[in-house]
Amino acid sequence: MATMAPSEPARIVKTEWSMREFWKRYGSWFVTVANLTIFFVVWELFARSGAISPLFLPPASSMFEALWTGLTTTSPPGSVISGSIRDHLFYSLGNLSLGLFLACLIGIPAGLLMGGNRYIETVLSPYVWALASLPRIALVPLFILFLGFTVKMQVTIIVLSAVFPIIINAWAGVKTTEKSLLAAAKVFGASRRELYTKVVLPYTLPFIISGVQQGIGRGLIGVIIAEIFGGSKGLGYLIQRAADTFNSALMYAVLFLLVVVSLTLIQLTRWLEAYVAPWRRIDRL
Amino acid sequence: MRVAEADVGRTAAAPTIAAGPQDSAPVIVSKNLTVGYELHRERQRLTALRDISLTVNRGEFVVLVGPSGCGKTTFINAISGLVKPWEGSIEVNGRPVTGPGPDRAMVFQDYALMPWRTVESNIRMPFEMQKLGLSQKEMDERVRRYIDLVDLTGFENSFPYELSGGMKQRVGIARALVSEPDILLADEPFAAIDAMTREAMQSELERFVTNTRQTVVFITHSIDEAVTLGDRVVVISYRPGRIKEIVNVNLPRPRFDYDVKMLPEYGELRDHIWRLVKDEALQTARGAK
Ligand SMILES: Nc1ncnc2c1ncn2[C@@H]1O[C@H](COP(=O)(O)OP(=O)(O)OP(=O)(O)O)[C@@H](O)[C@H]1O
Ligand SMILES: [Mg+2]
Repeated sequence: MATMAPSEPARIVKTEWSMREFWKRYGSWFVTVANLTIFFVVWELFARSGAISPLFLPPASSMFEALWTGLTTTSPPGSVISGSIRDHLFYSLGNLSLGLFLACLIGIPAGLLMGGNRYIETVLSPYVWALASLPRIALVPLFILFLGFTVKMQVTIIVLSAVFPIIINAWAGVKTTEKSLLAAAKVFGASRRELYTKVVLPYTLPFIISGVQQGIGRGLIGVIIAEIFGGSKGLGYLIQRAADTFNSALMYAVLFLLVVVSLTLIQLTRWLEAYVAPWRRIDRL
Repeated sequence: MRVAEADVGRTAAAPTIAAGPQDSAPVIVSKNLTVGYELHRERQRLTALRDISLTVNRGEFVVLVGPSGCGKTTFINAISGLVKPWEGSIEVNGRPVTGPGPDRAMVFQDYALMPWRTVESNIRMPFEMQKLGLSQKEMDERVRRYIDLVDLTGFENSFPYELSGGMKQRVGIARALVSEPDILLADEPFAAIDAMTREAMQSELERFVTNTRQTVVFITHSIDEAVTLGDRVVVISYRPGRIKEIVNVNLPRPRFDYDVKMLPEYGELRDHIWRLVKDEALQTARGAK
């Protein structure tokens, strides 16, 4: 069959990278590294100048030192707070993973069902909105009352923190599925089931990932709140204890670690999103 | 090749071509069709088309023209089964339309490509969802052939977001043709394609549907395109859309084998349709005020 276009069409060809393109792509990394280095150096100098009590702001080097020893040592058996961060980190991450897993297990199907079925939506939406808008911290005393200072209580709080963004995003994804894509699938013979599996689900997948991304942020807040309120382990507990014992270097080390953990998790979901939904790849923060 | 039955304006000078079997079995029959949309927000019903009676015969190429918003897309949606008649009826091959079927395929005005599927996978979609009973080899071969037809070879693994508007539209065309449906519903399929490529594709389409004897309902805003391609041009009036006039275009085919635009009849038909559409477009503009 002859080709329809009159001219030889453009083909995809590999190109060499110029210095400029290299900079365009990786330049921001260099800037970030330099930026952070300067930030910590200034912090160090400022803290050492004596302008502020080391109780409020320890030198950056002390923080890194506390972080290093905390991550490389385990606490001796029996002791609760010994400067070891590692055990607390693993404990918190373990709870966070469990909580997020349960939040996905509940949130994804709930959101999909709410988007797909008008009755379920009508019945569930008042509860979803009510609980989503309630500051979760207000529920902590209630759960302590019910469940005591247990892992169960902590995981419940994480689940409640993370589940609503997941539900709401999945729900929105289903509801906003482009009508023309559904029409096209119908015209080309999709069954009702296929409309869901081949249009609605792939369309909603990136929404679900955004939901999980928000859920991670909320879940992390949940972890720390639950541990600060009631617990004898975990990063939240460690912050509390570090403050109680005026160990500001340790406290800053934990805060720094929280930032790193949170950014890492969020970056992972971004990569996942870019991988499963490259068409939504837009430059953003 | 088809020439409409009432063959009036045929010129002796125009080249003649071998005629295929003439057969005027009605394929699409629309009787007093009235259809529209429920506007939930305003608790209103909007009548998009009123009282449309039109019969399209097998192998016929019917072009719909009319001002924007007059209901052209709505009409082919009714044929495809995406919207249901409010009043009157619409039948395809003697049976009332209750939903989409493998006998009809559509090129969408807004392409409607699945963004998560590659070009090839989008074109393969009809095979996945309609059980046409083709062998894997045949399906592969057809997908390849239609990708080649719309000149997208080399872009099989590209995603729609990596393509230009015209390229996306060509994917939509290939997807509609790949199952070789009886009826091709094409909603401004060449709108995003440049003039040169467009002409080449018009020629290719004419040849293609002549060979396959497909019935085509084709929407366009270009009156030239309407006269060049159509056996009949249906002019639809502004909202609610009614058939204002059906213009027979009895110019010999294939029209790209000679300079059809040089025929005096071509100019006359073109001017006639242009005046009809202009009146409606003016009313549209007035209505918008
Ligand atoms: N899904 C919808 N819901 C509500 N109203 C609609 C919908 N689709 C179309 N309409 C209305 O129906 C009328 C006809 O629309 P239609 O899309 O059929 O027009 P058209 O002739 O294809 O226009 P265009 O040339 O701009 O594509 C328009 O007035 C439009 O506002
Ligand atoms: Mg339209």
